[in-house]
Amino acid sequence: MNYLKPERLDRLAREYVLGTLTGGARRRFERVLAASPAASLAVGAWQQRFSVLAASVPPMQPREAAWQQLERRLFPAAPKAASGFGAWLSNLLSARSLGGALAGVLLCLAVLRLQPGLVGLQPPSEALPQSYVGLLSDGEGRPAVLASSLRHGRQLSVKLLQPVAVPAGRVAQLWALPRDGGEPFPLGVVPDHGSAVLALPDSSEKLFFNVTRLAVTLEVAPALAGAAPAGPFVLIGPCVKLW
Amino acid sequence: MNPTSAPPADLPALLARIALRERAAFEPLYRATCAHLLGVAFRILNDRDRAEEVLQEAFMNVWHNAASYRPDVAAPMTWLINIVRNKAIDALRSGKTERASTTALDDEAMAVAGDPALEPQRLLDDGLTKARIDGCMAALNASQRQALALAYYRGMVHTDIALALNAPVGTAKAWVRRGLDKLKDCLVAAGVGA
Repeated sequence: MNYLKPERLDRLAREYVLGTLTGGARRRFERVLAASPAASLAVGAWQQRFSVLAASVPPMQPREAAWQQLERRLFPAAPKAASGFGAWLSNLLSARSLGGALAGVLLCLAVLRLQPGLVGLQPPSEALPQSYVGLLSDGEGRPAVLASSLRHGRQLSVKLLQPVAVPAGRVAQLWALPRDGGEPFPLGVVPDHGSAVLALPDSSEKLFFNVTRLAVTLEVAPALAGAAPAGPFVLIGPCVKLW
Repeated sequence: MNPTSAPPADLPALLARIALRERAAFEPLYRATCAHLLGVAFRILNDRDRAEEVLQEAFMNVWHNAASYRPDVAAPMTWLINIVRNKAIDALRSGKTERASTTALDDEAMAVAGDPALEPQRLLDDGLTKARIDGCMAALNASQRQALALAYYRGMVHTDIALALNAPVGTAKAWVRRGLDKLKDCLVAAGVGA
């Protein structure tokens, strides 16, 4: 089916934004949306049109508890007032998105030097093999999960740098986040501590070529191919090419 | 066109700072937009607790994905409303919220609208009037306007709309389709979202 004929695209886009596109058709269109700038534009135009309707919705002030809970969920154990240390920490955190990739690589280099077996190969030389490496941090910027895969490999090694709190009935689902806000795709379930090796559906090169970040959500069941994250990202961090 | 909350905050700048993980920009964005966004979620879920939960999830999403916001594609409020509506619609359809069409609206919604069945249509009419396209949209009959309003404000799908308006599903679909065609024509004619 050709989704990209302009008229068809416009009809799908408007029913998608309105919400009357449902079930499998909705998920399929979301995948088209991730890959097609024309679809994004059509959706953007309809969002803009519907904002006319949103303008008349009477506001409703959330309870203060909603903000407090949001703050706790996003920034657990955050220091209330920025003391000397707090200010230093918050500066560090705001610089984190820029320095994160570099810091991640440096830490990975250190870890990989100590444990070359982590990527499943003892390099014949001092040089590290060409790999994709991801380092996920929690809301406070503490490194939590290290993920690595040989460039042409089909396995992803995952190591928990600190235990992850996974509530009963949930799993910690790992996602790859493509560049420019593309639709995340699932990689597998990570354990709450220790390490694991996840089988990849394709070679790392094909899967991660365009991926800039990895993230973990808590899901009620392991995500299937084509699924989208249902929960918020509890861990997130850069994914970089190690060559 | 001015949303009711009329935030004086510079939303594009706040979003840009949030994309750089600047925590100090997060609360001002929340404060400036939360009431309007909760209103949108509440209309769909008809449950304040669930709507506040959706609001929180939406803002977690905003914190993590602010970098994907494209100022050239959408205004900040449009982008935020879209996140909230998608989350509210997902929550509605995952069955976590009881909201049969027969369920009475709670006190807060009743305070907004005397007759709950007419409320979505009143919102639609207000929105069209504010955008000064009510004259153009007058070509639609009451059922067409109601179908569009139920889909947009209540997150209803075609089968819900058919049930609520006591019509065959095919008819409900045609009403929504006609409503959307007309909305686009009127907005384009008025120079909005062309």
